[in-house]
Amino acid sequence: MEQSATYLGLIPLFPLLGAVVIGLLHVFTCNRYKLSEKFYGLLACVGPVLSFVLALKVLFALKALPPESRYLTHNAFTWFSVGDLHINMGFLADPLSCLMMLFVTLIGTLIHVYSIGYMGGDKNYGKFFAYMNLFLGSMLVLVLGDGPVVMFVGWEGVGLCSYLLIGYYSEDRENVLAGNKAFIVNRIGDLGFVLGLAFLFWAIGAQGFDYISLKANVHMLEPAIALTVCLLLFVGATGKSAQIPLYVWLPDAMAGPTPVSALIHAATMVTAGVYMVARFSFLYAHVELAGTIIAWVGILTALLAAIFGMFQDDIKKILAYSTVSQLGYMFAGVGVAAYSAGIFHVFTHAFFKALLFLGAGSVIYALHHEQNIWKMGGLKTKMPKTYITMVIGALALAGCPPFSGFFSKDEILYSALATGHYGIWLIGVFVAGMTAYYTFRMIFVVFHGEPRDHHAYEHAQESPAVMTVPLIILAIGAVFAGFLNFPGVLTISHWLEPSLTEHHHSSAFLQIIAILASIAAFAVGLKIAYGKFGHGAQEPEFKGFADFAYHKFYVDEFYNTVIVQPYKAIGTAIWKTIEPNVTDSPVKGAARLYMVVGAAFKVLQVGYVRVYAIYMVVGLSLMSLFLSQSLN
Amino acid sequence: MLVNLLFYGFAVLAVLGAAGLIFFRHPMNGAMSFVVTLVCLAGLYALLSAKLIFALQLIVYAGAIMSLIVFIIMFLNIQPEDLPREETKIPYILGGLVLVAPVGLLLGKIVKTMPNFSVDLVGNNFGGVKPVGLVLFQEWLVPFEIVSILLLVSLVGAVVLAGKRGTGK
Amino acid sequence: MIHNYLFLSVILFCLGIVGVISRRNVFTVFMSIELMLNAANLAFIAFSRVHESMDGHVLAMMVMAVAAAEAALALAVVILLHKHKGKLDTNVFSLLKG
Repeated sequence: MEQSATYLGLIPLFPLLGAVVIGLLHVFTCNRYKLSEKFYGLLACVGPVLSFVLALKVLFALKALPPESRYLTHNAFTWFSVGDLHINMGFLADPLSCLMMLFVTLIGTLIHVYSIGYMGGDKNYGKFFAYMNLFLGSMLVLVLGDGPVVMFVGWEGVGLCSYLLIGYYSEDRENVLAGNKAFIVNRIGDLGFVLGLAFLFWAIGAQGFDYISLKANVHMLEPAIALTVCLLLFVGATGKSAQIPLYVWLPDAMAGPTPVSALIHAATMVTAGVYMVARFSFLYAHVELAGTIIAWVGILTALLAAIFGMFQDDIKKILAYSTVSQLGYMFAGVGVAAYSAGIFHVFTHAFFKALLFLGAGSVIYALHHEQNIWKMGGLKTKMPKTYITMVIGALALAGCPPFSGFFSKDEILYSALATGHYGIWLIGVFVAGMTAYYTFRMIFVVFHGEPRDHHAYEHAQESPAVMTVPLIILAIGAVFAGFLNFPGVLTISHWLEPSLTEHHHSSAFLQIIAILASIAAFAVGLKIAYGKFGHGAQEPEFKGFADFAYHKFYVDEFYNTVIVQPYKAIGTAIWKTIEPNVTDSPVKGAARLYMVVGAAFKVLQVGYVRVYAIYMVVGLSLMSLFLSQSLN
Repeated sequence: MLVNLLFYGFAVLAVLGAAGLIFFRHPMNGAMSFVVTLVCLAGLYALLSAKLIFALQLIVYAGAIMSLIVFIIMFLNIQPEDLPREETKIPYILGGLVLVAPVGLLLGKIVKTMPNFSVDLVGNNFGGVKPVGLVLFQEWLVPFEIVSILLLVSLVGAVVLAGKRGTGK
Repeated sequence: MIHNYLFLSVILFCLGIVGVISRRNVFTVFMSIELMLNAANLAFIAFSRVHESMDGHVLAMMVMAVAAAEAALALAVVILLHKHKGKLDTNVFSLLKG
């Protein structure tokens, strides 16, 4: 028996309304009378806070329900009805979406509060918060949608906000280009997504195109169609969640303000792909080949991104590649059908990655927008709160027990081992080691040793409370979130059971092997990093493989040469040759034709009335000719 | 017998007069041959027992209208150099004849379908002043009045038009 | 027989049309129009004789009255034309030329 809950519709509505209000206020006052930043900041946080409160209400409401029917639905209105396709603007709150909603709104609120301080002094303050609220609203629509079409609405909405916020500092052409890149690469993924949805609808959509109906009808899918749908939907996920081959936009997206990187490109939007796979677990569980492909793409992405991350010198780029790498882990998790493990890693990753980004933002803010780690150093005495919280985040990311990252990453690796994907497990352990290495390389270079740029170092100071308090809260989350799914106790996995179709393995032996391997990888990575960077290192010269990795294997250049330039050449060719001749000349020719015909008829307009009388007589005689024929 | 002769005589003269109208260069010559046509037409009306119309044709058409036209022709003092140079008159007329021939043929065909009626002369009860007057002032009273208004309008119009000061040559 | 009169009427009418369309002299055109009116009159009278009714006579009278009115106006216009351009050629007025 499903319960209806009209307040579900309010959860995405509050931030969206906030976006509209703030946007209108900004548009109408930014040129004449500037409203105070505090006002905008307060207004901006109202939406996320209200959504968080409602999310808690949903949590308690769901807890009160028995597990078999643990979901709430709400149909706001019928969006459109065409033939067999009936799409409602409906919302579904089940354990999975409740979990996603909770951390999205919580971290969203914290990042909004942080942005009040970080974006201080920016002249488009109101615009920023309007976009952020819009993003939060779209993300909530994505998570709460009761069917793939509503999810796609949110999917597109977050893509749009990503574009808007990456190109936020729009005076710089580079930033706008980065925003374009993000949107366009996303779009390529979206094509796959829409094709997947089309196939799905064509196959089993006639009885209803929402998750509940699809789950009930999924056994009617033929295996070939199911595999196609799974892979096409995953193409969409590679675009949105930055996997091979569509990950190239995420490092460039660091052109946006740091809170944007934290919220969108670490905690929430990029996890939409993982959420989508988990949501469709009823489909993916039937098609093991698709899962295997997803897992391998994920783990290879993790490997590739970790290699890149080891050599970057921009603090945000290190974290960006780290995000891509961790997303690879998540896909490896859902690929081996450990959906709850993947979602659990999403959950913990949101905390520690947002923490790391906000901490990086704090450092950047203190050093007046310096982002090159080789110009930092020795900041641990000047920015203690930032330092401690970032170390906590780094430990969580690197997988050090008992921090949260350890539990979630270990769960994924154990699942890989337990389902027999030994290759994935080995690469995963190796990448864990690399993760520890590059994370602590960053920490040691930025915070330890001697300052490398004394001028910047003199002016550095700890960030204001409005920025450090969210850091502390996130650090608490990064520490304790892991215990929500302690192996053996497994509360989150248990909570997510009604939403996901998965088998739980339990083999204590493999569990222990996985734990030991993870801890060993962490220790090795940390030791190597400490050895190289713990005592104040200088910027190295990269040669050979390191230089190749520093230039990200020249993948961007490769895409540019192989895809972008030919596309542009085709476009230019069409513009210069085909368009004037093929499309313009019929149009111009039609106009000229009329002119020619008109000029031909102009001959008849002689201006002599007598001639017009002759025309009349001509008509008359033709008519009488015809009539005399018919009078025969 | 005499009636037939008269009819053919009048008909041939009327056609000749019309031909002269359209062939002569000077409008005066054309007007004169037109008068011939009008008089012959009056004769034809008489042969059709239309006594009043015969008289009216001679009085109004040949007498008043044509005299007005001839007066204006003479008033304008047309010299041969004023007349338009119409070198291509004959070809145009022949071309016009060819063009108009279908119309004529159609009308001729329609006429042929009419049954035979005799047109012998009849007495005063048909076509005299009294019968025409009776019909005119009993059934056709309103059109009669309207035509008189029309004449008034044309009178006013002619006075206005002719009274305008023009720019001359 | 009535056919003869009607054929004559047709011939005169066609000659009138030919005169209107092929001559450039203003007077000739005008008088050709009068010729057409007369041909119509002849047809009226002929038919009236056939039907033994006076209506045709009355209509012929109306036509004559209208022709008189029109003659007055047309000649006034001709005088104006002659005043403006000094010529009697209908081809002089070609402002409608496209």
